[in-house]
Amino acid sequence: MEKYWNKEIECASREDMKKLQDERLVAQVKHVYENVKYYRDLMDKKGVKPEDIKGTEDLHKLPFLSKADLREAYPYGLLAKPLSECVRIHSTSGTTGKRVVAFYTQHDVDMWEDCCARAITAAGGTNEDVVQVAYGYGLFTGGMGVHGGSHKVGCLTLPMSSGNTERQIQFMQDLNATILCCTPSYAAYIGETIAEMGIKPEELKLKAGIFGAEPWTEEMRRSIEKSLGIKAFDIYGLTESSGPGVAFECSEQTGMHINEDNFIPEIINPDTGEVLPEGEVGELVFTSINKEAFPLLRYRTRDLCVLSRKKCSCGRTLIKMAKPMGRSDDMLIIRGVNVFPSQIETVLIEQGYSPNYLIEVDRVNNTDTLDISVEMNPDQFSDKVKDMQMQERDLAVAIKTMLGINPKVHLVSPKSITRSEGKAVRVIDKRKLHD
Amino acid sequence: MSNVRQISVFVDNRPNQLAGVMKLIKDSKINVRALSVADTKDFGILRMIANDTEKTVEILKAASYAVKVTEILAISIPDSPGQLSRVLDILGSKNVNIEYLYAFLGKSDRAVSFVIRVDDNANASAALTEGGIIQLTENDIAEM
Repeated sequence: MEKYWNKEIECASREDMKKLQDERLVAQVKHVYENVKYYRDLMDKKGVKPEDIKGTEDLHKLPFLSKADLREAYPYGLLAKPLSECVRIHSTSGTTGKRVVAFYTQHDVDMWEDCCARAITAAGGTNEDVVQVAYGYGLFTGGMGVHGGSHKVGCLTLPMSSGNTERQIQFMQDLNATILCCTPSYAAYIGETIAEMGIKPEELKLKAGIFGAEPWTEEMRRSIEKSLGIKAFDIYGLTESSGPGVAFECSEQTGMHINEDNFIPEIINPDTGEVLPEGEVGELVFTSINKEAFPLLRYRTRDLCVLSRKKCSCGRTLIKMAKPMGRSDDMLIIRGVNVFPSQIETVLIEQGYSPNYLIEVDRVNNTDTLDISVEMNPDQFSDKVKDMQMQERDLAVAIKTMLGINPKVHLVSPKSITRSEGKAVRVIDKRKLHD
Repeated sequence: MSNVRQISVFVDNRPNQLAGVMKLIKDSKINVRALSVADTKDFGILRMIANDTEKTVEILKAASYAVKVTEILAISIPDSPGQLSRVLDILGSKNVNIEYLYAFLGKSDRAVSFVIRVDDNANASAALTEGGIIQLTENDIAEM
């Protein structure tokens, strides 16, 4: 029996939802235009007035906002409420450049936590559950967002934050955690450590995991589900828009329902900005329609994915986004070919290797080189050099088949690649050093 | 057939990796009787015969090393010209393909010992016996 946190919204008819979105969008645009000079200038430059936006069908008239705008407007340039009405600040991890800060009023925090409560409920969480939050707490939105959502649902909340893996596992055992929330790479690490400690997944009470904040593959999902004996749910969000919970997965596990009452998604051609029809791959763009302090209109996420309104077996009518193929700035262009680390991860897991790997891209004599260090599989270890070199070759061929370019594969010792407790670093692009 | 067990360990091709393995072995007071390292550009494969195979495997696995035990043949031949060639001729005449071999110290300074890795131990062992080559047991090696 599917449970909903807010059935009225999550299962609303398309007409009712559109009506709500239209009302909220008109109000949001007016709020932004009146209170944020940065937006007013952008809109004036494009010749759009708040009156021109009468509903979602006018969305395309608004100018885009990019991360560069957020950096330029740092720290207060996009603030739409007086600081006296704000209660919280969060910040991006800064992995792709200068940090960006986001502000929240109490209304914004409530809206965000409500989104997280929907995600926890969709993963089967109720007030009977013990939720172990192993996302980092602090400026990063992961910890506090899911924490707040867990409170709302009435779950017993374990604010572990990330790190100290053995203690995580001890608490998980002693306090009977039923739902684990962290990054997928940390979940994989916890699964690996549990096996090392000789604990069987069935000895734990865990039943579900809600994992997000970095791209992960379907293969990684199956591997985590097996190692922890759980059902693993994806969750999506970005600090700029609030945090985790912008979209969440249901029992069907075929994409994430977007909380459309708060965020309107669009898919655009990243080169031309043209809006693409449902079902086409493009850059995901979000417009917040229910935020006070830090509303973002048509914010370009740089995440590439597909939207779908196909009927979902869970009963929710909220539009679904497929697992992002990767953030467009995670995408590497190697010898002219677009490469996502997630494609390499897919091959590794399929071939029986661990999802711990390191991609190094460099340029030698004007040619891009792709080196992938992969932890060898101890079960396939042979005393014969030719067997081991065959494994390297086979893996290189499988990756070549996936990507279309030849990598150099290097087998390294098990556990020799640094494990991540938060967002994993998988790529070192040395070409940037030469530019 | 002698059934000597050889322990192989996957070692990264970086400074201090072999030292790490040998330190564990030293700390466990295990005595390594025979040893060779095969190298590739990415990694090495350390192969050895120890006086306590179970314990060696246990400590290395506990330290997350990839470890494999394989049965190999060990022989002892006189330390004089032409002896190894004679062994190879015997194996060649029975169509035995050698993957690798390495020498190690025996007890006597008039004899030399070899580890021979083939795919078909039974066939190779029979050929060696027929050719009058002394094969060592794991016990022989442990007591050297």
